[in-house]
Amino acid sequence: MEQKLLIVDDEAHIRMLLEQTLEELEDDGVNFYSASNGEEAYEIIKTENPQLVFLDVMMPKMNGMEVCRKVKMELELKDVFIVLLTAKGQELDRQKGHEVGADLYMTKPFDPEAILEKAKEILGL
Amino acid sequence: MKKQKKFWVYKFYLKNKNKKRMAKISLKNILSKDNDAISIVNSLAIQLNADFCIEDNYGKIILSNNERAFSFQYPVIYQNETAGFVKGNEKSAFIAELLMHILNKESERKKLGTEVLNLYQEINLIFNFSDKLAQTIGATDISKITLDEAAHVIKAKSGVVVLWDEEIKRLRVEASKDESFFEEEKINTELPLLIDIILSGQSEILSDISALQNAGIISPEIKSVIYSALKVKHRIMGAIILADNEPDKYTAGSLKLLTTLALQSSSAIESSLLYEKNIREAQEKEAAMRRIFDATEKFVPYQFIKSLGHELITDVKLGDQVEKIVTVLFTDIRNYTSLSELMTPEETFGFICLFNARMGPIIRKHNGFINQYLGDSIMAIFPGNASDALLAAIDIQKELQNFNKIRQEKNKPEIQIGVGMHTGPLIMGITGDYDRMDACTISDTVNTASRVESLTKHYKASILLSDASLRQIENTDDFKLRNLGFVQLKGKLSSINVHECFSCDDETELQKKSATLPFFNDGVSFYLNKLFVNANDAFKSVIEIDPDDRTARFFYNHTLKIIESGVPENNPGVIEMEEK
Repeated sequence: MEQKLLIVDDEAHIRMLLEQTLEELEDDGVNFYSASNGEEAYEIIKTENPQLVFLDVMMPKMNGMEVCRKVKMELELKDVFIVLLTAKGQELDRQKGHEVGADLYMTKPFDPEAILEKAKEILGL
Repeated sequence: MKKQKKFWVYKFYLKNKNKKRMAKISLKNILSKDNDAISIVNSLAIQLNADFCIEDNYGKIILSNNERAFSFQYPVIYQNETAGFVKGNEKSAFIAELLMHILNKESERKKLGTEVLNLYQEINLIFNFSDKLAQTIGATDISKITLDEAAHVIKAKSGVVVLWDEEIKRLRVEASKDESFFEEEKINTELPLLIDIILSGQSEILSDISALQNAGIISPEIKSVIYSALKVKHRIMGAIILADNEPDKYTAGSLKLLTTLALQSSSAIESSLLYEKNIREAQEKEAAMRRIFDATEKFVPYQFIKSLGHELITDVKLGDQVEKIVTVLFTDIRNYTSLSELMTPEETFGFICLFNARMGPIIRKHNGFINQYLGDSIMAIFPGNASDALLAAIDIQKELQNFNKIRQEKNKPEIQIGVGMHTGPLIMGITGDYDRMDACTISDTVNTASRVESLTKHYKASILLSDASLRQIENTDDFKLRNLGFVQLKGKLSSINVHECFSCDDETELQKKSATLPFFNDGVSFYLNKLFVNANDAFKSVIEIDPDDRTARFFYNHTLKIIESGVPENNPGVIEMEEK
């Protein structure tokens, strides 16, 4: 089956950095999608059903928490692995992230090596 | 092809683990991505009215607007390799051009992205390093973390963090990795070699390391050395030095990274050294305070302060006071005036010091404390039971016997002291004014105790205690005691009953006094009942057996005087003291 990966962040440079970090997955046949706000992300998840989503928490038009909640609770897409990304120092959100059904929680600035390792592990590559 | 790529990746990984490999850009990539490439190609084809078919270099069709066979075929060249072909009419050459342009653009974008990612990775690394530093205290630990981090990201087989100790003019190794390379002793014996490097305040990749190798500071296997100064503003603290066996190991990038780490580490080390210095100073201050406190405590006894309900002398306030039932003990050297006439003032002072030095510990041993030294006299307070004071008095007299033995050997005259005590209420308090305070005792008990002590001269007794003291003592059988009757103290309205304790006498005297005790007690009893002739007889019997019993002799002479001169009219059973 074709693997899909979605990167969601309102900041273009973070999207690019994540793409750049994960680009070698393209060689393994993973298709990349990206979204710059929550609504867009929600639509892509609904239609494309990506296996893995890197989801920024603080975003305009529906924040990451809300996207996560809707995907997990309303759409009941349990197979979408959601990694919430939040700025360091705001780790209090961790509990909230857990409540909305996030699978993993990582902080920004992120460690590119760790992100790549994690993505490979989740996608089974 | 795949194998070759893997090899390349592996080499790249070795050279720069933290930098990521770049994914290969292909026609498939750029045309399948969610970008505008496909629509641009399609719209160009419409504009040109061109039929086309884009294939990769394996002949697989990626994008096409017409499936028929084409007469023209244009290669898409990307980085001197054929990435694929555009087939179609002659106008499809423009599509090939466009694809090459997009490939190059994509390549540039990726290159830029990789560079940004590398920078981001460095930021992340520095961020984490700051985090670690923030959680570390102590120059040594900070040095270790810095070295570990630097050797990890910059790749070094060995390394060292050295700090310059200005006081002893030596380099101190704070942290090291693979110690055989940088040994503290070696570094300091070859100090001039390193001093140029370390105290230059620079950071560089050493091009010539032969001098360091010849000096034996680094081993011959080392091929690359990089260092960065640890400095805050212009003050140089030391350096971090990394070394590796691989030649030309370090690049400008490594140097930049090392300098950044060194910069962060320097301020952390500086803060830490400052912190340690503050701690050390605080400890020294505390020790000085402790010494002052200890010294003060020697002037005002801790027990006195404790009695006032305080733990520290600094808590004591003017007007603090407490009333307690205590036993006050006085000692006094007999014939001190004539004794001191034989000595120079220095000798007298030396003698008193020597004497007091022996007595103080005895008083403390028996739970008492010295309230005051009054020349040849000591005033001590026993807040517990009067038996504490009596035991102390006995020990004082015994200690005096030892003291006298030493004096005898030196042909010095024997010292005699009287010890007297009384038990009663006493107010201890702090008096004076704001700038000059003193611990003081206000009590009639002190006066009475002092007078009981002075009675020892009259009775020729070693230890005297008032009835009030005796009443507090439960185990009276433990002591050798004789009742001496009532005494009218000068200036006092009521008389007091005094007792002698002779437990401190030597063995022969002790036996004799014990044997004559019934006669003595009879004598006192007759005396109190004004039967002076009978009393005189009884005391005579005592003296006949024990001619050294000076107290019995006093009573014998006293009763004889009464018999000869007649009984005094007022309160005849009480001995009236003429002087204090």
